[in-house]
Amino acid sequence: MNATTNAARAGARRGWIEFRNSMRAPEDVVYYVIGAAVFVAVMWFNRDNDVDGAGISSALLIFPGVLAFNTMFAASYGLATAVATEREDGTLLRAKSVPHGMRGYVVGQTTRVTLEVVFSLLLVTVPATLLVPGLWGSAGAGGLALMVAVLLLGLVACVPIGFAVGSVFRSPRAVGGWGMLVIAGLVFVSGVFFPISVIPGWAQVVGQLTPMYWMGLGLRQALLPDSVVAIEIGESWRTLEMFGVLGLWAAVGAVLAPVLLRRMARRESGSVVQAGREKQLQRV
Amino acid sequence: MVAGPDVAIEVSGLRMRYGTKEVLDGVDFAVHRGEVVVLLGPNGAGKTTTIEILEGFRLPSGGGVRVLGEDPAQAGEAWRAEVGVVLQSWRDHGRWTVRELVGHYGEYYRPYATAERARPYPPDELLDRVGLAPQADQQVKKLSGGQRRRLDVAIGIVGRPRLLFLDEPTAGFDPVARRDFHDLIHRLSDLEDTTILLTTHDLAEAERLADRILILDGGRIVADGSAEQLARQVAGHTEVRWTSGGQRHVHATEDGAAFVRELFARFGEDVSELEVTRTTLEDTYLAMVARSDARRREDEVVPSHPEAVR
Repeated sequence: MNATTNAARAGARRGWIEFRNSMRAPEDVVYYVIGAAVFVAVMWFNRDNDVDGAGISSALLIFPGVLAFNTMFAASYGLATAVATEREDGTLLRAKSVPHGMRGYVVGQTTRVTLEVVFSLLLVTVPATLLVPGLWGSAGAGGLALMVAVLLLGLVACVPIGFAVGSVFRSPRAVGGWGMLVIAGLVFVSGVFFPISVIPGWAQVVGQLTPMYWMGLGLRQALLPDSVVAIEIGESWRTLEMFGVLGLWAAVGAVLAPVLLRRMARRESGSVVQAGREKQLQRV
Repeated sequence: MVAGPDVAIEVSGLRMRYGTKEVLDGVDFAVHRGEVVVLLGPNGAGKTTTIEILEGFRLPSGGGVRVLGEDPAQAGEAWRAEVGVVLQSWRDHGRWTVRELVGHYGEYYRPYATAERARPYPPDELLDRVGLAPQADQQVKKLSGGQRRRLDVAIGIVGRPRLLFLDEPTAGFDPVARRDFHDLIHRLSDLEDTTILLTTHDLAEAERLADRILILDGGRIVADGSAEQLARQVAGHTEVRWTSGGQRHVHATEDGAAFVRELFARFGEDVSELEVTRTTLEDTYLAMVARSDARRREDEVVPSHPEAVR
């Protein structure tokens, strides 16, 4: 086996070990469960609350948005935080000190995030299926296939964003503060939790630049009755544009993220990590 | 600069500048295959910078560096597989178990195994070697400082590198852990013929481990040789104390044995409470650093070459 394949395989195992470690850590499990519980509760309270002009309950409209949000949150924000943390604690430098270690690291993080997304989606989907009536009522086999395709492409679009953001910031605290603001803004402009028509025109324009909007749109198309298209922009599912924009994000990310990661990795050294650590201790 | 096959590291005219501060100002030295070389020097002398340049983690401002025949800044992954780096201890991989972590980093070396050099080390064998076998299933975050450090060493050597870099490996060790670590370094050097370059502040450690000692001060190598050779370079490396005629005497000399012979010839039975002390590495080190300090001050006061005026 050649060295790059070998490193990718080691990375995949690494991702699995990290995910398993996370599942064994009570603090992580509590975090996932509370996150899922909040979304399921919101859907449950809105199970009889109808959306104007769509002919469905708010719960049903929110559900595809929750899937899109969870995927984006774990793959971009969560991953960026993890990369910044591991840059600070020396994990990245360790990866750099072994042959093809950075490749293993990237494959590892991608594997871990994928498992995390699947897990967090199941954690919402299973209770929601039991508690929200008619959740899967409109999604046929074609709808389910479209859902899987949109989630996969969305993941591929969001993971490079996570790597890129994580490699730009020096510490997880820097990612955390600004990141949360950005996430809140994204939730607003991308209309994943309410009809896009209720937000101002400029926000709709910004929203349509984000992968989250298009994931939400694609997932609504997959899971909701066709009549809901009436509340979408242009009263169309815009399937081609949806795949196009997500594909573009994925392509740009696939080109840009390795460049940023390499730039970041080049700068790592023992004294840089040590300096970061001392700075952190001073602040605390 | 032509590196012979027996030269593992060759450094010539190495310079490193941060802003206007000259950290390394023309460093020259070589390390031969299988040698254990200790790099000593005061804080801020540029030891870590030097090691990081050799590891390929930092680009020098000037000068030539060859490590295992390649420029570390340009070298590829195959070169990386021959070089072991023992990192400073941080908090990474806290949730991993010791065995899993060593096993994981070993995986990356598997494609580089050859018939005569099986690699990586089997994790359990390696943990046994560094004395971490009882902790194999423990989480990394639950290790003590010394155990954590031995884990760093284990990860540094899991790929059976031909060349190993260690930057202050025994900082925070208790005496037992330190002794075990020294044994480990001796074994690596003797059995595996690993070339080792390490930095330390512990002079006793340098004396125990080093085939050769380099002292880095003021951005230059100010001394290069075995502990004995360095001691000989410092005047009066043996100190003789004795009492005669009810008075205590101290004399520093090059040749302790000759002086004592003469002492007895002259004073005979009058000599009592005789003490002969060889200069320790610590004395040598302090003398060398003081000498280099004095040289630097002289340079500052009386500029010896025109460039220094600027």
